[in-house]
Amino acid sequence: MRLRRARTPPTPSRPAPPLLCRWDLDKTYLRSEFDTLRSLLRTAFEKAEDKIDVPGVAELIKALKATAERRGRTALVYFVSASPPQIGGAIRKKLELDGIPYDGIVFKDQLGHIKRGKLRNLREHVGFKLAELFRGRLEAPPDARELLFGDDWESDSLIYSLYADILAGHLAAAPLTAILMRIRVDPLLVAEVIDLATRVSGRDAVERIFINLERRTPPATFRLFGPRVVPTFNYFQTAVVLAVMGRLRLEDVTRIGTVLVERSGYTARRLDNSLDDLVRRGYLTLPAAERLAAPLRATGLLSLPTPRTRWRRMLVRLGRWRPRRSKARPVTSAGALDYDAILARVQPAARHAAASGGTP
Amino acid sequence: MGGDHAPDEVVKGVAQVSLATDIECVLVGDESRIQAVLEGVSYNPEHISILHSRDAIGMAEEPREAVKRRDASLVVGVRAVAEGRADAVVSAGNTGACILACAKHFRVLRGIRRAALASVYPRQREHPGQDSLALILDVGATVRCDAEELVQFAVMGSAYARRISKVSSPAVGLLNMGSEEMKGGETLVEAHRRLRQFPGINFVGNVEGNELVRGRADVIVCEGFVGNVALKLIEGVSEVLYDITSAAGERRVAWRLGLRLLSRGIERLRALTDYTQYGGSPILGFEHLLIKCHGRSEAHAIRNAVKVAAKAVRDRVPAEIADAVTASR
Repeated sequence: MRLRRARTPPTPSRPAPPLLCRWDLDKTYLRSEFDTLRSLLRTAFEKAEDKIDVPGVAELIKALKATAERRGRTALVYFVSASPPQIGGAIRKKLELDGIPYDGIVFKDQLGHIKRGKLRNLREHVGFKLAELFRGRLEAPPDARELLFGDDWESDSLIYSLYADILAGHLAAAPLTAILMRIRVDPLLVAEVIDLATRVSGRDAVERIFINLERRTPPATFRLFGPRVVPTFNYFQTAVVLAVMGRLRLEDVTRIGTVLVERSGYTARRLDNSLDDLVRRGYLTLPAAERLAAPLRATGLLSLPTPRTRWRRMLVRLGRWRPRRSKARPVTSAGALDYDAILARVQPAARHAAASGGTP
Repeated sequence: MGGDHAPDEVVKGVAQVSLATDIECVLVGDESRIQAVLEGVSYNPEHISILHSRDAIGMAEEPREAVKRRDASLVVGVRAVAEGRADAVVSAGNTGACILACAKHFRVLRGIRRAALASVYPRQREHPGQDSLALILDVGATVRCDAEELVQFAVMGSAYARRISKVSSPAVGLLNMGSEEMKGGETLVEAHRRLRQFPGINFVGNVEGNELVRGRADVIVCEGFVGNVALKLIEGVSEVLYDITSAAGERRVAWRLGLRLLSRGIERLRALTDYTQYGGSPILGFEHLLIKCHGRSEAHAIRNAVKVAAKAVRDRVPAEIADAVTASR
């Protein structure tokens, strides 16, 4: 099923731009536990076989890559993690066990920070991640489009938004420096980030930033980040938004939904509710949701419509039903975000997270 | 959308339930208002759906007229349960409207003449293992009733206590103005006579007002008018006691120190008498359940009420009542 108007087919002389998918590791791909020192240690020494991935994530990554390649474009999958490289072996093996095709993985040299006595850098990830994102960007084809995936444990929404705004040319070096200093990024790292930022091309390349609401952070918290940031409660929701964007096929959404049902105890009702939640939050229009839901209902993945919803669907088709949110949120933002407001809100939360054992 | 703090506290309560349990909740009311509250709190959308309705019945509205409005959230919710789209209703709204909406859309259990509004309240334990809560019914669905109806209340209350409080043979008392069987007028004397002879009911005789909060009976049976006054009196006394204690602490330093020493005990007393701990009051006698929460209910109380409703549905309380009524005929 076609979810949106097909783009003009790429001409042989000008291939479609590659798709760059950047993933955080803990709480985005893996269900890592580091709420307590004991769980942190357990995570550090866990074998690949014992690591648990977030339901549906492996199928989503595979589908993103496969769909892009089926459409004649390259899809590159990179992981950027603030975990130390010492756990790299187990992570690579886990990726292999899950059959996830990836093109690169970066870890944070925590031991190096300890050796240099930079203990603050152990818990501060904004500078590290921004630098790695810029490095990855410099190595990628200049016309690459990007999808970024993170979670609500760390400052992923802030890091990714800063990155996207710099790429788009919405944020200059001076305000970026001020922001990084305000969140107490190591001055040496600030200089490195600014240097890298000035070298990346001014291209609005980030299409969407997906935040896995693993902590169930209230979605309203992310309003300040604008419509580019999409907080989702499960990877079925993420898949639905990606399908509407044309990045996944309906079959991929079906597969991810099926995996959630078969392996994680999801029911048709839970998937129904997830879909409705996206509509209510404005990431999906009601007609788009209806178009998507019909074949999923036919496969039994979603529950059959009640007489009330059948009536509503008929009204939608006739154009007589105008739900309160008949338009989806616009994706692009006009300029840089209000980082003053974001920091005023994020920093107390970050301090709280740090105090409770989480990573700020 | 009913209750003094609706929809905010109701939505927050349901959001808490969605995070902690696998109970499927359907929020009935203005979708955009509900969504606005939801997005500001932690919730799990997989366990929440919204049934949109534009109208809501006010707490002070005349119930008989109010339940005629088909798009009122209470009526929409009750109809959804009657049509099998949900299993039970939880409402903090207008009590009269709740009872009338149930009467209008739910079928009364076979053999039951009148539904009853039951409520749990804290009481003293007389022996170890005894539940710290007792059930009193009716507390407002009726005003006056006859002996047969009081007997049916006893049957329904016993069935509810068996399922929810897990008391195999709940002690049933008849609220009266004296312990002697001839006290209380014609209706109560007749009810006493019937209950004493009733098979399957562990009738412990008349219970006086001062015995309400003691552990003699697990289920107290009375007319709605009396039950409502008794329940509100218990609530009022506990609130006043707490206020007096707090005020005492402000007067003298020595009293404040004493209260500080007793603080854990006072908190336990407060927790015991706090209506928010017990969820809500079930309306018994219909094929489906409605759990009526206090009008002042906040998120915590709503959360507990939803849990009580889910427990009652899982434990098949209406079926238990129907079986008990059938067996008694």
